[in-house]
Amino acid sequence: MDIVSGMMHGFAVALEPLNLFWCFVGVLLGTVIGIMPGLGPPATIAMLLPLTFQMNPTSAIIMLAGIYYGAKYGGSTTSILLNVPGESASVVTCLDGYQMARKGRAGAALGIAAIASFIAGTFGVLALMLVAPPLARFALSFSSPEYFALMSLGLAMVVLLAGRSMIKALLAMLVGLWIAGIGTDLFTATSRFTFDNSELLDGIDFVVVAIGIFALGEVLGNMESREEGQMLPVPKGLRNLLPTMEELKACRFAFVNGSVIGFLIGVLPGAGSTIASFISYGVEKAVSKHPEKFGTGVPEGVAAPEGANNSETGGALVPLLTLGIPGSGTTAILLAAFILWGLKPGPLMIQDNPTLFWGLVASMYVGNVMLLVLNLPLIPLFAQILKLPVYALYPFIFGIAIIGVYSVSGSLFDVWMLAVFGLLGYAMRKLDYPSAPLILGLVLGDNMERALRQSLMMSQGDLSILVSRPISAVMLVLAAIILIVPLFRKANAWRIKAIEEQA
Amino acid sequence: MKTRMSVVLFVAGLAAMGASTVFAQAFQPSRPIEFVVHTGPGGGADVLARALASIIDKEKLAPVRLQINNKTGGGGLTAMHYLAEKKGENHTIAVFTGNWITNPLVRKEAKISVGELTPIVRLVLEPAVIVVKADSPYKTLKDFIEAAKTTPGQLKQSGGSLTSRDNVVRQLLQKHTGAQWAYISFPGGGERIAALLGGHVNMMVIEPQEAGEHIRAGNMRVLAQISEKHLAGFPNVPTLKEAGYDVAIVPQVRGIVAPPGVSKEAVAYYEDLFAKLAQSASWKQYLADNQFDDGFMKSAELGKFFGEFAEIMRGILKEAGVKVVR
Repeated sequence: MDIVSGMMHGFAVALEPLNLFWCFVGVLLGTVIGIMPGLGPPATIAMLLPLTFQMNPTSAIIMLAGIYYGAKYGGSTTSILLNVPGESASVVTCLDGYQMARKGRAGAALGIAAIASFIAGTFGVLALMLVAPPLARFALSFSSPEYFALMSLGLAMVVLLAGRSMIKALLAMLVGLWIAGIGTDLFTATSRFTFDNSELLDGIDFVVVAIGIFALGEVLGNMESREEGQMLPVPKGLRNLLPTMEELKACRFAFVNGSVIGFLIGVLPGAGSTIASFISYGVEKAVSKHPEKFGTGVPEGVAAPEGANNSETGGALVPLLTLGIPGSGTTAILLAAFILWGLKPGPLMIQDNPTLFWGLVASMYVGNVMLLVLNLPLIPLFAQILKLPVYALYPFIFGIAIIGVYSVSGSLFDVWMLAVFGLLGYAMRKLDYPSAPLILGLVLGDNMERALRQSLMMSQGDLSILVSRPISAVMLVLAAIILIVPLFRKANAWRIKAIEEQA
Repeated sequence: MKTRMSVVLFVAGLAAMGASTVFAQAFQPSRPIEFVVHTGPGGGADVLARALASIIDKEKLAPVRLQINNKTGGGGLTAMHYLAEKKGENHTIAVFTGNWITNPLVRKEAKISVGELTPIVRLVLEPAVIVVKADSPYKTLKDFIEAAKTTPGQLKQSGGSLTSRDNVVRQLLQKHTGAQWAYISFPGGGERIAALLGGHVNMMVIEPQEAGEHIRAGNMRVLAQISEKHLAGFPNVPTLKEAGYDVAIVPQVRGIVAPPGVSKEAVAYYEDLFAKLAQSASWKQYLADNQFDDGFMKSAELGKFFGEFAEIMRGILKEAGVKVVR
């Protein structure tokens, strides 16, 4: 089936009233669980699986996929309003989104997040439809050395996330890398830093650390100032709650950047949306005319990561649908769902089930429109949360944070860890350590170490495997450039200063 | 002594025969049964548990619901410790996997071994096949092994952790043949397949259900099946023994256990519940869809199986260089 007739067929399927209904149910559920921190798409889809046995597989996959990409829309809400990342992929959104909210632009930030999600989500579907098979083959050429280079590139972004002091940023990153090392070592089955505690064998959940450091750290820090009344300004009037033309204009490149980077990283089975959002944010800052303003509430800083994490959905479906290889937790459970419905996911699935594939693709266009229409009117409503006085808002954030963490694992131990990381976040704020590098180290550390060791096992200890493969070599060079350029800039600044002083 | 022995045997026989009639009356769950799973929603054990719960519901095998409780962490240890805390609780059961047997052997963090839990039934045996990429020069397992002998350590296998079945198969084959090849761990099944299809590794051990479509699409070739008898989908592929390598077949198992110290009546009840389930058409369909083998085994046999399996694994893990703590 060629693309045009495929799409015609797909829309015929997706626009059937029943499928429209399930698509709406999916995106609505997705938005809701995206807004709630903790409970994510994999858990929701797993719990709904038994209900889908009675449905026809096409309707069922349309609904489950709706949950998957719908959650990506909702995830930004609590990041922006409360500095509580709703999903792991919306951690980066906290950096500028919450700062925008502090400046009274919460509505604008939510609007930009929704628009970026819509543009990038649609781009992801378009790319899934047009280039899935060749891109899937390209993704297979990625192996451990390339992943190591990609993670190095990501880690080099630390120089972009640093605040005033590079040393402090590097220290925070090292702490993140260390936390990533806690748990069981995959290669030797030995435990690291577990102190004979079985709760630590799987390592520390990234969401626990992120919510602790961002949300609790923020609340503890603000509590000191003993403000009465409202914490953040909320402008009156609908017009002031939506993004302005200038703000949207500033995001032009971010929409493109987020769409493309998110999709490409999504296609790789070993990366994921959190990494996609970090890299897209880094790229946005690197090419920006005013990089120093990132982290103070610039709209591009919201648009890029939010776009990337939505476009990633389309990318992640590429290896699943064309190769039968799940690249993430959510796609793994979709794979299990296919099997439960008696379908055979694999390289022949599109060929064998054109109705399902094209119906799904078409429903994702429809679903993205539904999400935009669903989310934009909710913005003024959500922005009202910030009108709560601090004595109500702070306990609310604490409650949301604790419920979010507990719902991930159902373990009280994680709630204690949340408290520990909340205190760490508070201490870091007090001592002026940036928190983003710590999160970056934590996200990348595990994957990076694993990729390096896999590479060295493949080459029997020969380090040249990392630079002798073209893709990996290019990315390592890029990483080196990102690390070295600021040094030149600094040297240049000194030079100019010295010349000026001489004159 | 002799009479006492025969009385014991008689009672045991009676229990076995009449389990469904005599003891099932004695224990009836009065509230929802807590069904503990050690993976998060969507993980392998979780998907199995949800399928079991829905079959029991659909076939109306139990008067109450089975409520899934995900106790993740520690590669299964968190769930095992949770069961230990529920000592004597008749309304709690759990899905166990091979991890539950091997993990306590290598983890000093473990406070309990699977032998201390109450065995209920074994349900599933997951067979596996050895595959290479379709354009690989190795047509038979012998080709691969001989190549590994001439270039020791050069060929690569992708797989899970060192305690996984993938590595156990490698250890057994290496020991049997003297060949040596590298084992590269990947945390996710998708990454393992991607490494093989991308040509970054030479071979992998994979479940037939996962491999089936790749074989049909002509991306993978099967060299041998790791099972005693031929699997339904692979009538012409030799078993390890037929390929000339008579090594132990270490199965991947899944089944049901209960906390320590639950009542005999409750054990009989659950044994009977899952025996009925194992006979149901829905369950047979589930096994066929996933290309699992029916591994049904009752409580007493399962207890023995745990002991034997742990013994085999202890030896294999020691040889693999993993530190065994108990």
